[in-house]
Amino acid sequence: MEFLRRALNPWGEDVPIGVSWDLIWAAVIIGAIFVVGHALMVPKKVATGEIDEDEARGLPEKLQRHTPGARGFHWSMSIAMFALLITAFFPVVGIQFPWVTIHWIAGVLLILTVIYHIYHVFAKQDFWTMWIDRRDIAEGKQGLKAALGRPEGKRPRSGKYPVDQKMFHHAAMVVTLGAVVTGVLMMFRIENFLLPMNTYLFSDAAWGWVYVIHGVSGIGLIFLVIAHVYFAIRPEKRWMTWSMINGWIDRDRYLENHDPERWVVPEQGSAAELEASGGGGGQAAVSDRVRGEGP
Amino acid sequence: MAVIRDMIPPFELFQPAGVDDAVRLMEEHGDQGWVLAGGLDTFDWFKDRIKRPSAVIDLGGVDELRGISAGADGGFAIGAMTSLTTVAESADVMSAYPLLATAAVTVATPQIRNQGTLGGNIVQDTRCWYYRSGWPCYRAGGNICYAGTSRSMNREHCIMGASRCVAVNPSDTAPALVALDAEMVVASTSGERTYAATDFFIGPDLDIERMTVIEPGDLLTQIRLPAPWSGARHYFEKVRDRKSWDFSLASVASMLNVEGGVIRDARLVVNGIAPYPVRMGAAEAAVRGREPSDETGQMAGEIAVEGSRALRHNDYKIALTRNLVKRAIRDAA
Amino acid sequence: MLEAEVIQSRRGGFTRRKFIKGVIAAGATASAAGYLFRGSGVLAPMLSAQGAVERLVTLSINGQQRRVDVPKQETLAMTLRYQLGLTGTKLGCDRAECGACTVLIDGVTHYGCSILTHSVRGREVTSIEGLEQDGQLHPVQQAVIDEGGFQCAFCAPGFTMSMVGMLTKNPDPTREEAAHLLAGNLCRCGDYDKILNTAMRAAELSRSRA
Repeated sequence: MEFLRRALNPWGEDVPIGVSWDLIWAAVIIGAIFVVGHALMVPKKVATGEIDEDEARGLPEKLQRHTPGARGFHWSMSIAMFALLITAFFPVVGIQFPWVTIHWIAGVLLILTVIYHIYHVFAKQDFWTMWIDRRDIAEGKQGLKAALGRPEGKRPRSGKYPVDQKMFHHAAMVVTLGAVVTGVLMMFRIENFLLPMNTYLFSDAAWGWVYVIHGVSGIGLIFLVIAHVYFAIRPEKRWMTWSMINGWIDRDRYLENHDPERWVVPEQGSAAELEASGGGGGQAAVSDRVRGEGP
Repeated sequence: MAVIRDMIPPFELFQPAGVDDAVRLMEEHGDQGWVLAGGLDTFDWFKDRIKRPSAVIDLGGVDELRGISAGADGGFAIGAMTSLTTVAESADVMSAYPLLATAAVTVATPQIRNQGTLGGNIVQDTRCWYYRSGWPCYRAGGNICYAGTSRSMNREHCIMGASRCVAVNPSDTAPALVALDAEMVVASTSGERTYAATDFFIGPDLDIERMTVIEPGDLLTQIRLPAPWSGARHYFEKVRDRKSWDFSLASVASMLNVEGGVIRDARLVVNGIAPYPVRMGAAEAAVRGREPSDETGQMAGEIAVEGSRALRHNDYKIALTRNLVKRAIRDAA
Repeated sequence: MLEAEVIQSRRGGFTRRKFIKGVIAAGATASAAGYLFRGSGVLAPMLSAQGAVERLVTLSINGQQRRVDVPKQETLAMTLRYQLGLTGTKLGCDRAECGACTVLIDGVTHYGCSILTHSVRGREVTSIEGLEQDGQLHPVQQAVIDEGGFQCAFCAPGFTMSMVGMLTKNPDPTREEAAHLLAGNLCRCGDYDKILNTAMRAAELSRSRA
């Protein structure tokens, strides 16, 4: 199996022209092995069970985990992402349809969502919520040991985002940015009303690497999407998946899985108020502020 | 084009005697196999060392692929390996489908028509010379179109139907077959499939590396023609730089069913302006119920070129298409 | 090589026949070199795969049965010129464009450069050398002499064969019909008018002989 597709250009130079499409199957197979392996090896997480009544005091029954903006971003991005993956890879594996226009329009939508997300993160949310620090590493180590059947005492509770989610986020960020940046450049090679056509913007070799990065990123996304969807439908994680749909998690889940020290929820009114403020609750409902974290 | 006047690189040669053997060999050799019909296009690829198959499957000995036979429904079936001369000179074709006979006789030269086949003429690859130079363009599996830029020599390229690739379909018989509502029979080891001519030809938006639905392992075996319209008028014209040998810049094929001086039904197909023969559906609809006059033709021509877009050097094709469609209505006989 | 042949024979440094022999030898060397330096793909195809054609074939050329060892990829024009010594068939473009290599296969004109020798097994091949019958020139050959139809005459064998093919199709063509039937041959001297005179004369001679 070759990693790159190469060709001789009109000047006789051996240039890359893209990533080998065999890697699509590699990504699918690795994804399947990961899913099956995880499903077989890792036991469903045993709930810690006990809720500390002290901690529960003053907390509403429902706590907001994702603002409507964050949820809107997540689902618009996922629609764009699926449209991109389907239009990119179905034709390659033999399910043919006119895909180019849908692909670049979906790409533009993805870019818009990414821009919104970046703005939202810096302006509205706390950037450092997603940062991986020492406690996350310790949490990760313990989680890994527990997953391998060697639990050491009580599993530490996470901040707003568990470390595996943070890792997924960063991996997805890297490949998405790779695909987005190269995708924008590739729009110079097709007809669209946003960018002028300029086939010879770069040298053939440089263009080749643009295509390779775009391909590798896309294929990486196949694996990440498989893993992401798998975790989203795991029974013990469904409460998190629901929170991406309706915005909130209940108090017991919060106390069970999250460290109130690391994900601070200010005391507030009743759940009824939360409902009244539109399902997701107002800005006051939950704070992204993280105590003791940050630079 | 580089002229390399020595031997073609070696390959293994198979001469099956039947379609079954041929498709089995094609499957066995996969993308290393090459199907040889008339060979007029094949040997250029081989001599220029752009296509280097390890196995060539010569259909010359497959007699079942040759010949013209009458079908039950009043139509005819033409074997894919029937030579263009046979098609052009067949009494059956000349009387039932004069459009096809006229189109077949405009192909290349007598020698090429004697050897070239109807099937080969239909499935032939584009003439885009950037592609034929063996460069890694989209059609050759690469990621660039050398012909579609503002600096390209693209006088022969397309004015509609482009998607990244701007090559055109070069076949002369293809537009005639589309206008005659022909069906293409395709065989492979998994059985036989039939396509309407309009579905048989595909554009680069669907698959940038093929011009027809034919995939490796598929063999075009037969072209079926339905019973002709009684008293139909037809028109065929091929425009080219040189009156012999040359490929078309644009060609038009029309079938008109005229009753009481009024067009009841029409087929209008233009080739050489898109990656596939373009059936001008809107123009066909517009001429129904009208006289086949200069005025109707003018209107049909205007409709036919709607949405067309010229490249750097081929805007003449828009006017050419407009006028060819006009003539195909006005001068059909 | 082919252009050199023409230039040399016009300069008269060699007699034409001697030079042609030289070309045959050079051709044989060239095709042998073709096999030797073709890279990794050389040996495998030389051993026949199961079900593939045999290299040793018997060809029916100009009424004779000729046994030849023909590589799978060899074109008829190459076999005629470089294996059988029938150099009357010329190679001009080698791309099915110029018609210099025109031969008759079962009485029908084909470009010898663009058909595999293995495709003509069991079919009757006629090259320019086979037109003369019992010391009598073919009417087309006689017409060429009568009309002086060619200038450099590199295209003459191909045109002659096309005219023979034309006459079987249309023994009494108009000048326009003749032009259409001879449209598969090129004359770079631009001698078409005289070539058409020849064609009309050939038709005349052919009819009077029949």
